[in-house]
Amino acid sequence: MTTILFIIFAGLAIGCAIAMVSQSNPLYSAISLIGVFIALASLYVTLAAPFIAAVQVIVYAGAIMVLVIFVIMLLNVEHSEPRRKRLKFLVPLAIGMAAILIAETAFILYSVQTSENRLPGNISDVGLTHSIGEGLFTGYLLPFEVTSVLLLMAIVGAMSLARRTTQLSATARVVPGAQVLAMDIVNPRAVGDLTAVETETTDEAAHLLGVDFQSDRDQEE
Amino acid sequence: MDWNNPFIHSLLVIVAITIAFLTIMLLVAATVLAERRVLALIQGRLGPNRVGYGGVLQPFADFIKTMMKEDLVPDQSTRFVFLLAPMIAVVTAIMAIIVYPFGPTITIPFLNWTFPLVIARFDVALLYVLGVTSVGVYGIALAGWSSNNKYSLMGGLRSSAQMISYELALGLSLIGVILICGTLDIYNIVEQQSGWYGMQWNIIYQPLGFILYLIAAIAETNRVPFDLPEAETELVAGFHTEYSSIKFLLFFNAEYINMITVSMLATTLFWGGWNVPFAESLFGRGTFLFALISVLGFFVKILAFLFLYIWLRGTLPRFRFDQLMDFGWKFLMPAAILNIILTATFVFFTTP
Repeated sequence: MTTILFIIFAGLAIGCAIAMVSQSNPLYSAISLIGVFIALASLYVTLAAPFIAAVQVIVYAGAIMVLVIFVIMLLNVEHSEPRRKRLKFLVPLAIGMAAILIAETAFILYSVQTSENRLPGNISDVGLTHSIGEGLFTGYLLPFEVTSVLLLMAIVGAMSLARRTTQLSATARVVPGAQVLAMDIVNPRAVGDLTAVETETTDEAAHLLGVDFQSDRDQEE
Repeated sequence: MDWNNPFIHSLLVIVAITIAFLTIMLLVAATVLAERRVLALIQGRLGPNRVGYGGVLQPFADFIKTMMKEDLVPDQSTRFVFLLAPMIAVVTAIMAIIVYPFGPTITIPFLNWTFPLVIARFDVALLYVLGVTSVGVYGIALAGWSSNNKYSLMGGLRSSAQMISYELALGLSLIGVILICGTLDIYNIVEQQSGWYGMQWNIIYQPLGFILYLIAAIAETNRVPFDLPEAETELVAGFHTEYSSIKFLLFFNAEYINMITVSMLATTLFWGGWNVPFAESLFGRGTFLFALISVLGFFVKILAFLFLYIWLRGTLPRFRFDQLMDFGWKFLMPAAILNIILTATFVFFTTP
């Protein structure tokens, strides 16, 4: 029974992985990767690790891949272009290296099966929620806390890279005449401050807003 | 009846799934009709009451009408995803019902057979529900994208962003219940609420957790007041603009099944599941009447939650999208973490 289940789920995982690598549309690759994760979660269940299976689906297939799909949809990534001529040597090289990898794996499996050491056949409770919780908060507490700091660093880094560095966008149009600006346009750090900042000419307003007005005027002439 | 024989076990599970599926479909039909009638009564008019006695056959008439409509598929190369999205939505919606206990363990005397009234009982049931909810986001995101329509894409992305934001608050608000019950197995959580003559419900221990869970769950199912992504005045019809006929029915069904599963989760975790007060002392534990009263009690509680959903729809205005995201991240998540801290302190000082 376990063998049949293993063949089904492993076959599903391998099929989805091959589909992921060979699809030209990146969204189909992402969907195939989700299929791989769900197949892996089923394999974890057959190995008596239900907590890991559930967390794999919740975190990996349910959160990380959603963000990947957001990126693909928002960037409107098109089909990948066909492989260039000078990289065609990679195909036989990949086949050769895959053959070496399969040979190594076969050797490892053969030597494990013919060795005299036997794994204990009983089902341990390492994979249950209780054991994972106990280990995570007593023996592995420091890696746990350090990992959360690492994730925080990643979030802060992404936010600071994606932040707008200029005060106002360069395509803001400044209308001729006396300009009255609110303080929170001029200085975006003073949020909600609506005191008026008066300028007499558009040059002064453009200077305050940080907009380059000279190039527009040169184009008009 | 040998429960451990895998083939008999599989057969019985298939029978149980069929019964539960039919029950949920009937409940969805009843909810559709109830929504239209109750909304109408809130708004001062009668709802549909012509088809059948009091309008009872209205959902079936709607079903037949929608099936007869023309089935449109946009003329693009994303046909596969267009067909896949409503399937993901409805399959993940209905996958969640297998872990909820409909009643206590019943014994059939002449077959000498004891079984709990739950389709699947395993010890990470609550995480399974959260996982299935997470995968359900894909149905909406892929539907919005594959319609090849800017408004659908915006509606789909907004809806997905809303759902993943409120999933966080949902999961955190459930941790309070897990701390008190000490298990992730939903059957055990309901069993533990049968003290005090069937009145020791978790709502007594977790009122804040329940309110946070309810708000997060209403946002998860994209219902008013959180239904900006599918509001008719905003983005035509949001992510399901381009869907017609059966595929639209699948999305529609998925929304109502989500409502029902969320109500089931609220009932089992906070309101005692199938525990009816004083039922055990009146009828005795293993009798058939006790099981019947418990199952009826469970359904009464679910219907009360569905009525609450419809009531909110008829009464509240909807959030703007930035208000919605602010509320989810800046209020619900810190409140849920506060709930966890308070519950953990309570559990730490009261366990010996």
